[in-house]
Amino acid sequence: MVTDFPFLLQSMAWPLALLIAWFLGERLHEIWQVPRVSSYVAVGLLGSLINLPGLTDAVPGLPFLANVALSLVLFELGYRINLRWFRHNPWVMALGLVESALTFAAVYLASGWFDMGTDTRLIFASLSISASPAGIVRVANDLRSAGQVTERVLHLCAINCLVSVLAFNLVVGYWHLSTSGDLVLAAFGSVHVLVTSVAVGALLGVAAPWLLRAQRVQARDVTVVFALAVVLLTTMAYGLKLSPLLAALTFGIVARERRVHLTNAQRGFGTAGDLLTVFLFVYIASLLNWADVGTGMLFGLVLIVVRTATKVGCSVAAARLSGSTERKGLLTGLALTPMSAFAILLLEQSRLYGFEPAAHVLSSMAGMMLVLELFGPVVTQRALLAAHETHVTKE
Amino acid sequence: MPLETFKASDSLTMGVELELQLVNTYDMDLSSSANDLLELLRRKPFPGVVTPEMTQSMIEIATDVQREHGPLLAQLQQIRDTLVHAGDRLNIEIAGGGTHPFQRWFEQRIFSKPRFQQLSGLYGYLAKQFTVFGQHVHIGCASPDEALFLLHSLNRYVPHFIALSASSPFSQGVDTLFDSARLNSVFAFPLSGRAPFTLSWDEFANVYFTKMESTGVVRSMKDFYWDIRPKPEYGTIELRVCDTPLTVERAAGLACYLQALCRHLLERSEPPPEEDDYLVYTYNRFQACRFGLDGMMVNPKTREQISIREDILATLRHLGPHADALNSQAALDEIERTAARDGNHATYLRKQYAESGSVQGVVRASVDALRFGPKA
Repeated sequence: MVTDFPFLLQSMAWPLALLIAWFLGERLHEIWQVPRVSSYVAVGLLGSLINLPGLTDAVPGLPFLANVALSLVLFELGYRINLRWFRHNPWVMALGLVESALTFAAVYLASGWFDMGTDTRLIFASLSISASPAGIVRVANDLRSAGQVTERVLHLCAINCLVSVLAFNLVVGYWHLSTSGDLVLAAFGSVHVLVTSVAVGALLGVAAPWLLRAQRVQARDVTVVFALAVVLLTTMAYGLKLSPLLAALTFGIVARERRVHLTNAQRGFGTAGDLLTVFLFVYIASLLNWADVGTGMLFGLVLIVVRTATKVGCSVAAARLSGSTERKGLLTGLALTPMSAFAILLLEQSRLYGFEPAAHVLSSMAGMMLVLELFGPVVTQRALLAAHETHVTKE
Repeated sequence: MPLETFKASDSLTMGVELELQLVNTYDMDLSSSANDLLELLRRKPFPGVVTPEMTQSMIEIATDVQREHGPLLAQLQQIRDTLVHAGDRLNIEIAGGGTHPFQRWFEQRIFSKPRFQQLSGLYGYLAKQFTVFGQHVHIGCASPDEALFLLHSLNRYVPHFIALSASSPFSQGVDTLFDSARLNSVFAFPLSGRAPFTLSWDEFANVYFTKMESTGVVRSMKDFYWDIRPKPEYGTIELRVCDTPLTVERAAGLACYLQALCRHLLERSEPPPEEDDYLVYTYNRFQACRFGLDGMMVNPKTREQISIREDILATLRHLGPHADALNSQAALDEIERTAARDGNHATYLRKQYAESGSVQGVVRASVDALRFGPKA
């Protein structure tokens, strides 16, 4: 009979947590229309709160799996980016870039009110640019929303993530330079990560569609090939110390330009994608250390207000110029609220490559993350509903 | 409420309405973006009329009243360019075609005008299957009796318009084997089909319509989904069997083919229409929907079988002088090329499917055809 009970409990914790998360996600969605991802986050947070064995202990392989899960989302996000749109409507691109820069500046300045080092403030600022692709894409897919708010949120989210990775890695490079004075190490920590990740992603973005055409792969199998390519990309990124997230986003953007069609039946990579999303959100939430939440709450709330204000402000200001309305601009800015997995995994990855302040930054951000992970998707969902871009319009 | 008076208009004037698809640029599915597009279009003068339709993924455009092919085509091209440009600003593609090849009807939202809400309440899933895209051509009539005369005289030519315009071979992701799958959706409506046979407006309005109204089934002409119906408030008859073609050039060609045909019919050199013409009507219509230009139709007067393609080419030979009078030779050339050589747009779309191997590729081809014209 079972002798090692704690071990059994530990090994069962993960699958059980995921199962509970899934059921809770469906149930709460049905009753109160809570976005599913918020429920997943809630389960992860609870697991972390009660210190569920197996969930909070470092389990090897989980960060990798989380990176695969998020990379799939980023690939899909990249695939939805229409570069031609930026040519026809440069205001969308300009909005994304200006808003990213302003968010960076505003968060950097605001964090000056608190007692923190410049390095940490720069990291906060660069991470605050990002919006959560996982939260936004998942909520948009769940609602099957379509329209200007949806399009703009996705495109802005991609720009935000790209600028965020760029800024983040430059800050990491700067840190390496200022702590070690080693230019080579600094360059490795930033330029190499940025350039090589983009190059590898782009290369695969050209190679995969070529392979699909050469082998005359059936339309419904295209998704499988892309999913496997993303797994390959993540593995390569680990091996070469690259950013899997940046590589996956580039992969998606380039693959789309190569005009291979994904079938609409498998948005979000179908069932496999659903499974990985549950895991991703439970995992990310379980990384939060509750002890840090209280101390950083005021700081977190200030950053949220500043971040939201710049995103909404820029979006409203550019709305009419870019062919939309102020109302939709406001909703677009609000829908960009979620911020979670992308920022956390970016930090995790940098820690893996020797960026020491990462752990400290993560704990200082705990309060902000808690709020944005849990309520960000709700804001996105309400914004899309208010924009009447969802599949059921009740009037 | 009795049927409104037929407002006489200039004979042989014409107007074209096109229902167009709004498609996302990402996986080529229909995009519920009509509100956004209309909002943007409202900011500048539009070279025609643009209105919301049944679902958010469709818009309808209409030309002004036109007399000749040249100005009609020019206006349609202007409308197209304006739409395509606005679409580009909003990351929306615009396409012709009678059906979207793979949209799933249950995911389309019904537009929120009260009439449409009421329709979807009444027709249930049919209302959503009604996400099909047609071209309507109005022809002006000098009197209501002229309207009924033209309406019924055109019965034998209806298959021509179905076959020439057919551009909906795919539906729900599969090749339906029909050239116009769209019309199958239209036929599902209870008041679709043909108008009752009468050549007197007085009888139509005061006997037939009054009786129908007293049954409570209809309240206005809008409740009839006939293939050709009179439109008293415009003083026109409206041909409704055409799929929206992939190009505005084809749309203008079809309108002017109808205009020339009506001019021919108004000479009254053909035997007058009669109820028995309709004996073969649904058979002919089926042949046109299913086989397009290769369909076989029965001439209601001679009872002879002839391929629709042959019948169109034979008709075109009679229309030369009318085309000269109406200045629409270029339009009839387009129709002749379609019938004799190029085939309809259903054929074109099937070819695109064979080349690209996916229904998304078909939508891509439709989008490009509207913007740039079909690939050679």
